[in-house]
Amino acid sequence: MVPGGSFTSKLSNESFLSLFMAGVLLLLFAAACVFVPNFYLPRNVINLLTNYWYVIILGIGVTFLLVTGHFDMSVGGNVALTGVVCAWACQAAGTSPNELANGLGLPYGAAVTLALLCATGVGAVNAFFIVRLRVPSIIVTLGTMMLSRGLAQVITRGAQRNTSLPDVFGVVGNTFLPGTPLKVAVLIMVVLVAAAFALERSTVVGRYTYLIGANVEAARLSGVKVNRHLTALYLLSGVLAGVAGILLASEFKAGVSSRATGYEFDALVIALLGGVSISGGFGSVLGMFVGAIILSVVTSAATGLLLSPDWQFTLKGVVTFLAILAQRFALDRRKG
Amino acid sequence: MEPTANVLELRGLTKDFLSVRAVNEVSFDVRRNTVHCLVGENGAGKSTLIKILTGALPRTSGRILLDGREYAPRNTRDAKAHGVSTLFQELNVVDQLTVAENLTLGTEDTSFGFLRKSRRIDRVIEILHSLEPSIAPRQRVSTLSVAQKQIVEIAKAVAAEADVLIMDEPTAAISEGEIERLFRIVKGLRSQNVTVIYISHRLDEIFELGDSVTVMRDGRHIATKPVAEVSGRSELIQLMIGKTVFEAYRQRSEPPGEVVLSVKGLCNRKLRELSFDVRRGEIVGFYGLVGAGKTELARALYGADPYRGEVAFHGRRLPTRTDEVIEAGIVLVPEERRSQGLFTILTIRGNVPVMNMGRVSHHGIIDGTLERRVARDAVAELRIATSSTEKEAAKLSGGNQQKVVFSKCLFADADLLLLDEPTRGIDVGAKSEIYDIIRRLSREGKSILVFSSELPEIVNLCDTIHLLYEGRIRETLQNGPELDSHRLLHVATGGV
Repeated sequence: MVPGGSFTSKLSNESFLSLFMAGVLLLLFAAACVFVPNFYLPRNVINLLTNYWYVIILGIGVTFLLVTGHFDMSVGGNVALTGVVCAWACQAAGTSPNELANGLGLPYGAAVTLALLCATGVGAVNAFFIVRLRVPSIIVTLGTMMLSRGLAQVITRGAQRNTSLPDVFGVVGNTFLPGTPLKVAVLIMVVLVAAAFALERSTVVGRYTYLIGANVEAARLSGVKVNRHLTALYLLSGVLAGVAGILLASEFKAGVSSRATGYEFDALVIALLGGVSISGGFGSVLGMFVGAIILSVVTSAATGLLLSPDWQFTLKGVVTFLAILAQRFALDRRKG
Repeated sequence: MEPTANVLELRGLTKDFLSVRAVNEVSFDVRRNTVHCLVGENGAGKSTLIKILTGALPRTSGRILLDGREYAPRNTRDAKAHGVSTLFQELNVVDQLTVAENLTLGTEDTSFGFLRKSRRIDRVIEILHSLEPSIAPRQRVSTLSVAQKQIVEIAKAVAAEADVLIMDEPTAAISEGEIERLFRIVKGLRSQNVTVIYISHRLDEIFELGDSVTVMRDGRHIATKPVAEVSGRSELIQLMIGKTVFEAYRQRSEPPGEVVLSVKGLCNRKLRELSFDVRRGEIVGFYGLVGAGKTELARALYGADPYRGEVAFHGRRLPTRTDEVIEAGIVLVPEERRSQGLFTILTIRGNVPVMNMGRVSHHGIIDGTLERRVARDAVAELRIATSSTEKEAAKLSGGNQQKVVFSKCLFADADLLLLDEPTRGIDVGAKSEIYDIIRRLSREGKSILVFSSELPEIVNLCDTIHLLYEGRIRETLQNGPELDSHRLLHVATGGV
C-alpha cells in the first residue's frame, strides 16, 4: 500500500501478504471441496463470499484502527445498541400495555438518524478516553462494548423489540438486488470496502493512518494532526457499526440485545488473518476481506462436515492460528 | 595475593564499528581506591570505552587487566560478577519495590524459587545507612528523588563488593545540595575499597572530586595525570580540543537581513529566560553539552513541548502546535533520526512528502506520478546515495537517512530550520555535504538554527553562537577570525 514497493516492479509487503493469504484461501477452499459434498457449487461459493458481509463492514473500521496501533472492541455492542435504538425509535408510541411494544413513534428516517447518532456517540466516547485521556484502547473499547450492549439490554429488558414496527423497517435488510440472490446489504458492503481500499491506498487521509501506525512520534513531529485523525477513525468505526446494526435489525425485523455477540473478535480475527499487524503500521482492508472469506470457508466447511458446534469452534481456532503463523513465517522469510 | 596498585589497566584497547574506529589504541591505568575522572568532548569515545568496560560491547582488540587478571566480560551480568558496576543516567531501580528489595534485586536468597530472608540484607542496609541515613529501607523507591535513587544504586554496588563503580554524568539531573552530598559519598567510597570512574563534562567537578583525570579525543587517549598536576581548566580544554583543525569559517558575503524570529524570556522546566533574535539568512548556533537545554529549546520553538514567553515569527506570534508551526514556516530536523525523524519501515518515496502532502495530492487524493517525481528530485538534489527511491529508509546509511530527513523538511517550504545535532553519527563525507546544503539554504535566504554539541560543527557553520549551560544563554559570540574556540568549551563546561 504505502510505500513498501513500487507499483511496477517489486511487490509491496502488503500486496505480497494479501496474495499469500489469497493462496491460503484457495488451498483451504480446495481442501474443503474434497471433504465436503457440493462445496464447489456456484450457489455455495456466492454464499461464502457474502455470508460475512456484516463482519466485513465492521472489519473496515477495525482494520484502519489496527493499522494506527489501536483496537476497537466495541463494535459488537455498538451493532446491538444501534439495532435496538432503531427499532425502539420507530415502534408505535403508547399503543400497548406491553412496555416492549411501545416506542418513540418516530418515522423510519428519524429512527435511522437517531440510531446512527447513537453509534457515532459510542465512537465519540471511545475517542475521548483513548485520544484525550490516553487510556489504552483495548481497555476503553472493551468497556464501551459492555456499556453499549448493556444499554441495549436495558432498552429491551434483556430480550428484543420486534412488535408494532412499521413495514418500512424490514425493507432495506430484505431487499434483493434485481436478478440476483444478493441482498442490498452485500452491495453496501462491496461499496464500503471499495471506498475503504481507495482511501487507504490513494488518499492523504489513508497515508496519515499508516504514518501514525509506523511511528507516531515522527508523525507528530512531521505535523500530522494525530489526535484529530484518531478521533475521526473512532467515529468512522462507530458509524460503520451503526450501518451494520441498522441493516441487521432490518433483516431480522427486530432490535435484539444479543445481536452481534462476539463480532468484535471476529472482526479482529479477519483483520489478523488478512495480514494486518497487531502492532500497527502495516496491513490492508483487502487483506481483511480475504481473511473474512477464509473464516467463511472454514466455518462453512465445519458445518458441512456435520461437526458438533464445539468441534466447529475448535476447528475455527486451529485454522486461524495456523494461518496467522504461516503468514508471519512467509513475511519474515521475505524480509530476509 | 597482594592487591595490585592499579585496579584497571587498559592496553591498546580498540573498538571498530564497520569503518569507524570509535576507540583507538587506548592505554592508561586506573589506580585502586581513587576517583578517576574521564573527560572528552562528544564523540571522543568515552561512552564506547565505558560500554566495553561494562560488557555491553565487545572490544575489537587490546587488553584489559582487572586486578591484574585478564578481563573480557561477555555481557553486563558478567561484568557485574567481576565487580564492575555502573550508575547510568537512566537509573536502574525498580520503582514499585521497596529500597530493601531493590538492594537485593538479582541476588536474592532463594529456596526452590521462594525468597528466603537472609543476613545479607542486613549488611546491605547497614551500608545504605552509612551512606545516607535518611533513606528508610521500607520506603518505596518511587517516593525517592533522583539523587536518593542514585545513592540506593551506589549502596547496591558497594554491597555487591564492586571493585569499580562507573558513574556517567551523575550530576546532570540533581540539585546543588544533592551534588554536595553525592560528592561526600563518592569521596568516602575510596575507603570502602571502591574505585570510581567519574565521567563528567563539568570541569569544576573534576577539580573538586578527582584524584586523576584521563582526557580522550577522537577515540584516542590524550593524557592521564593526577589532578593536582593539572594547572587549570584551560589546560584540560586545550587537551580536549588539541589541534583540531577547524575548517575556516567562511565570512558571509552579505550581512543577514531583517529579524525574522524574536524570542523574549522563553522558559519551561529546563529553560530559563532565553532571549535572542534570528535574522533572515543567518545561521545561529546553540552550543552546549549534555543537559544544557539544546533539544529542549528546539522542541519548545517547534511546539513539541510547552513553554512560557514571547516568540514572534515574521512579526506574528508563533503558534504552539506543531502542525501550525510547520504551516507558519518552521521545521525541525530532530535529534534522533531513526525514532523521530523518519518512518523507517517506509521507503524514501514514502518519507519525503510527509510534511507537505498538499503538494503531491489534488483534493486529498495522492498523485502517484507526482510523488515519484518529488522523491527522485529529492534524491538528486541532496545526492542521496541509493539505487532507487523504493529503498526502505531503514536500510540506508546514517548519512543518507539524515539527508532523507532534510528532504522531508525542505519539502515543507520552510523559512526557518531547526537542526538538532544534524550530523551526529554521520561519516565525514556526508557531514561535509550536509554542511554545504546548510550554507546553500542560508544563501537562499532561509534562517537556520543549529543545536549542537560538536564544537567544530558550530565553529564552521554559524554566524552567531550562543553558549548554553544549564538552560541559560551564558554568552553570545559573533563568528570571525578572532573566535576563540577554547572560550566556547570553557563556557559550555560551566566556566565564566
